[in-house]
Amino acid sequence: MNEQAPAAVSVRGLTKTYGATVACDRVDLDLRRGEIHGVLGENGAGKSTLMKVLIGLVQPDAGVIEIRGRAERIHEPSRADELGIGMVHQHFSLVDELRVWENVVLGDKRRLDRTAARELVGSIGERYGLRVDADARVGDLTAGLRQRVEIIKCLRRDPDIVIFDEPTSVLTPQESEQLFDVLRVAVEREGKAVALVSHKLGEVRRATDVVSILRRGKLVESGATADFDARSLARAMVGRDVSLRGEASALGAVEEAEAVAHHAPLGGEHAPPDSVATEVVHALAVRNLVVERRGHRVLDHVDLTVAPGEIVGVAGVEGNGQVELADVLASLVEVDDGSVEVDGVAVPTGVAGAMGRAGVGQIPEDRHDAGCVLDMSVAENLVLSEFGVGQGLRRVDRSAMRARATELIDRYEIHCSGPDAPFRSLSGGNQQRVVLARELSADPTVLIAAQPTRGLDVGAIEFMEGQLADAAASGIGVLLISSELEELLHLSHRIVVMHAGRIVGEMDHADADIERIGLLMAGVDVDASPVAEGVGAGAGDAS
Amino acid sequence: MDFFHALGDIFSAEALYISTFQLGVLFAFAAGGEWVAERAGTLNISVEGMLLAGAFGAVVGNHLVANSAAGLLVGALFGLAVGALQANLSHRLTANEFVVGLALNVLVLGLTAFLMTSFDIGGARASTWTILLLSEIPLVGEALFARPWPGYLVYSLVPLLWLLVYRTRWGLEVRAVGEDPQAADVSGIHVNARRRQAVYLVGLTSGIGGAFFVLGQVGSFQSGMINGRGFIVLAAVIFGGWTLRGTMTGCALFGLVEALTIATSVQGYRIDPFILDAAPYAVALAVVLLFAARVRQPRALAVPFVRGLT
Amino acid sequence: MTDSTRILDAYESETPARDAAGDEPRAAGGGGGPSAREPLVVAGLYVASILGALVVSAILVVVATDGSARDVFTALLDGSLRSPGAWGLTLTTAAPLLLVACGSIVSTRAGLINIGQEGQVLIGSCFAAYVAVRLGTPGWSVVVLSLLAGAVGGGAWAGVAAGLRRWRRVPEVLTTLLLTFISFPLITYGLSQSWLLADRNTERRNQLNTGEQLPSDALLPDLRVFGNDIDTGFFIALGLTLALAWMIARTVLGVRIGMLGLNPRAAQRFGVSSERLTTWALIGAGATAGAAGGVLLTGGAAGDRLVFGFAGNFGWDGLLIALLARNRLLVAIPMAFVFAMLRTGSSFLAATGVNRTMTDVVQALLVLALLVPPAILFVRDRRRSLRAAAEDGV
Repeated sequence: MNEQAPAAVSVRGLTKTYGATVACDRVDLDLRRGEIHGVLGENGAGKSTLMKVLIGLVQPDAGVIEIRGRAERIHEPSRADELGIGMVHQHFSLVDELRVWENVVLGDKRRLDRTAARELVGSIGERYGLRVDADARVGDLTAGLRQRVEIIKCLRRDPDIVIFDEPTSVLTPQESEQLFDVLRVAVEREGKAVALVSHKLGEVRRATDVVSILRRGKLVESGATADFDARSLARAMVGRDVSLRGEASALGAVEEAEAVAHHAPLGGEHAPPDSVATEVVHALAVRNLVVERRGHRVLDHVDLTVAPGEIVGVAGVEGNGQVELADVLASLVEVDDGSVEVDGVAVPTGVAGAMGRAGVGQIPEDRHDAGCVLDMSVAENLVLSEFGVGQGLRRVDRSAMRARATELIDRYEIHCSGPDAPFRSLSGGNQQRVVLARELSADPTVLIAAQPTRGLDVGAIEFMEGQLADAAASGIGVLLISSELEELLHLSHRIVVMHAGRIVGEMDHADADIERIGLLMAGVDVDASPVAEGVGAGAGDAS
Repeated sequence: MDFFHALGDIFSAEALYISTFQLGVLFAFAAGGEWVAERAGTLNISVEGMLLAGAFGAVVGNHLVANSAAGLLVGALFGLAVGALQANLSHRLTANEFVVGLALNVLVLGLTAFLMTSFDIGGARASTWTILLLSEIPLVGEALFARPWPGYLVYSLVPLLWLLVYRTRWGLEVRAVGEDPQAADVSGIHVNARRRQAVYLVGLTSGIGGAFFVLGQVGSFQSGMINGRGFIVLAAVIFGGWTLRGTMTGCALFGLVEALTIATSVQGYRIDPFILDAAPYAVALAVVLLFAARVRQPRALAVPFVRGLT
Repeated sequence: MTDSTRILDAYESETPARDAAGDEPRAAGGGGGPSAREPLVVAGLYVASILGALVVSAILVVVATDGSARDVFTALLDGSLRSPGAWGLTLTTAAPLLLVACGSIVSTRAGLINIGQEGQVLIGSCFAAYVAVRLGTPGWSVVVLSLLAGAVGGGAWAGVAAGLRRWRRVPEVLTTLLLTFISFPLITYGLSQSWLLADRNTERRNQLNTGEQLPSDALLPDLRVFGNDIDTGFFIALGLTLALAWMIARTVLGVRIGMLGLNPRAAQRFGVSSERLTTWALIGAGATAGAAGGVLLTGGAAGDRLVFGFAGNFGWDGLLIALLARNRLLVAIPMAFVFAMLRTGSSFLAATGVNRTMTDVVQALLVLALLVPPAILFVRDRRRSLRAAAEDGV
């Protein structure tokens, strides 16, 4: 590396504490022009605090930030803008009802100029290969295209330094590749400094030139990506040797997960009775499910079965019907056609609490959405389903509720100040445990787990995955909806792929193959076209 | 046949169109501002109080300077003052916007009535400007082109509001803030500042509307003179499905309905006034009912935003 | 459940404010428990802002009139508490206010924004008046039926909004408001028609839209306590409020209502039908408001007959009480009493030479003053929990 030119960003000794927690502890970081710099770490490792400091959302307690060799204080986001630092957020910064060009210039200070804005969208698209219709309503775009808009929005001010925060979670593997190409263009042709923040070591290895690994607020290793292998990255990230077989999925190491894909899945000692599946009563059978929203099919004739003891993975890019499928199975949505059977018995859809009573447990994607009531206590959250049944004018038996809660808190190792603690006061991992404890203790026939490990750190992920595997081993049918392919490969006996509201492919664990799943996720008809063409078609489809 | 005869009588009277215009101006000013505030996410029920404050300001200003322009200005400022209270209490201190609105309506009603009994401030009237030739147009000529001068401001109000909301950065930000405050916030827009500014705007325009009601129509201040018209303004925005064109159509329609109440009683026809009084609200209700699926309110309407508080 | 960060209304807590760049949307809040000084801080804030409102009112009196502020407050206290029979009248006046507020609180807790209480009160009082004047059932059954009719009327009026919400997904905040303004001319119409509510005796001579005088059977009996006549309506309101408070705090139904308001999707998933329960909550709120109209009519707090402008803002004030009490039923009781004090006290203002509209000003200023402390506390707690959330999302 050229040590003469000052780094685009140079951070020295950056420290940020919140109360007793040290988020960043004397962290050093250099981002250079022409380099993609991976910032790798688990959730809670401090990478997000570090980036928030760089874009002015958080003020550090100590440390020096130099931008192009000059010490700077980035006291607010607008200062970061002036210094040429931009960040591509995950999904929060677009307004659905506005058009693409309006979204792109939202937050600027200059006079609003429609023609110039549309030209800007076109020219940035040209330069980076990010084509998108400037007049489209953002709400009508797919997740992949929305991310393009986010990137264009970030690049519009031509920042020298671009931070990508976990950008691949909404993309197919192929779209991720395209994104990495965009990053490559940004550093090589446009000479930018790029930071790729990620918890997936596979993608950091694949896409970056330099890597810095954070653990518990400290920078533990840094160096050229080529000097690391998956094992050393994983060790640096978690702080101990990891058996790649068991934890690869938690770390997002695709190759390693793939390497173990031909071992039995985690739930595996207990073989799912798929050979006799036709005779056995399915834990869950979804038939011909159709859900329409605004005249547009979000679920299109979905057929799906889960046998008792089987883990069925649902792969797919977010926004292809997984949420609606989970919602139907949570009694939140009434179907327009089709049926749901649990343990051989038809369950009406859209009837409050019907799925739960029929034996469908669910760990929802966003636990704050329908998984809990934030402003109730832990004890109340542990027995939510009991409030839904029976006579309304009976007394709530608080002491029984507390006793039960105490027992579950113990059994599931939930860290909280007691059964009466406000649910809101728990950390994300512990909130997730409360949800898990409630759902499993209800002794379900089938368990729907939608993105169950999102946002959790490695320890919590292991715990969650272990619980899912145990649940399957005890005879519960598990439907695992995830956008993390590694997790699906790691856990599932069988994987189905969703695209545009349809099930477009299905394969047994033994035949699972990342490439094929990726193409299916992108909506390519794998069986009809050769793979190479398929990639091209996938790209065309996405643009 | 009697019915059609009566209808002919009523609709051929110039007075009907004059009243329609006069009331329409009141509604249009307030509803124009209210439309912007609702696009920014505030269901601002203190528009009633703003109108009343504006009306009171008109007589105060006229009393102080003896000039109808001063009346209009002070009216606007009084409306703005109510807007400032509403905006800062609900979008700075995050107090519930309905409580604030209801309290402000009571406050303005009480305060103006109280002050009116304490001071003698007299009446106020703006001079009429007649535009040659155009005012000679039969039926509507006088209604449109021989008005008290502040009435003509309404012709510039509508295009100005349209440009403001659809062609300026401020307008873009207002729309973003009313639809998705979180996303707007992340994009670097000060959500509550935009919302406050939009409420200032409705305060200002409603103040003008109320002042016009005194200067151009009634000629003096009476305590109950606004008499729920602020709520017709809310109905007009709902009626218009949160579009400017629809809102203004609503204002004209509701102006006409109220003018009909006056016209029919003047001409001695016995239409139950209750039907006409209920009409604006019933029509608005029918519109939301019929177009509930198609008409979409701003997604964050009446949803407070609490993050980057200042 | 009584967490101080448990904000005003359900719809506020429904919108998780995402920490812009946090790993976890709103992961953890309420960093650090309340310190020992907390109650003092809260009390201090309230005292300061209420004093502020009173000082502003006093200044207004002094500046705008020849009256003395001291006289005004003395008169208000005399009229509401100190003069013979005054506090009984205040309690009687508090009854309809409390009735409106308690129903509103329950519906707000269920996640509804009902702002049409004024219309529901009016329609309720019309139904009550019709039954009282026209049915002529014997003895005490008149007053019972009349109150029930009030509840039915208010419930039906709110039921229109509830139905529109359920079947057409029209937001109730719009419909309840519009329905209120439809109810005004509707009453006027009823009062102009002798087959409905108009006074049959004076119809020819008098076009003033006056209802018929209630028969004495149709009046709620008073209870005489220490020389004060307290209307039975007050005990009805108090009893209902306490019963609802018990329901909310102790029963499964109360938890269900809370779930609906705090997280309607979770409620639906766990078997609480949002459609059915919110519909009934809205109808119930309308029914208590309608019953308030009945109590207003039969209790004598607003005269012995239905007239134009009868509801006299009882509905709006009841809504204000509910919102100011921050949806706690037990807080609504003293709040209703204070509002009633201002109403009864205002009748003594005339003697001081200050216009009685002054009480409107005092009331509005008090309302605004009561808004400020919780808002300040909320902003403070919010900042704290944002800090805590940032901590969590390290």
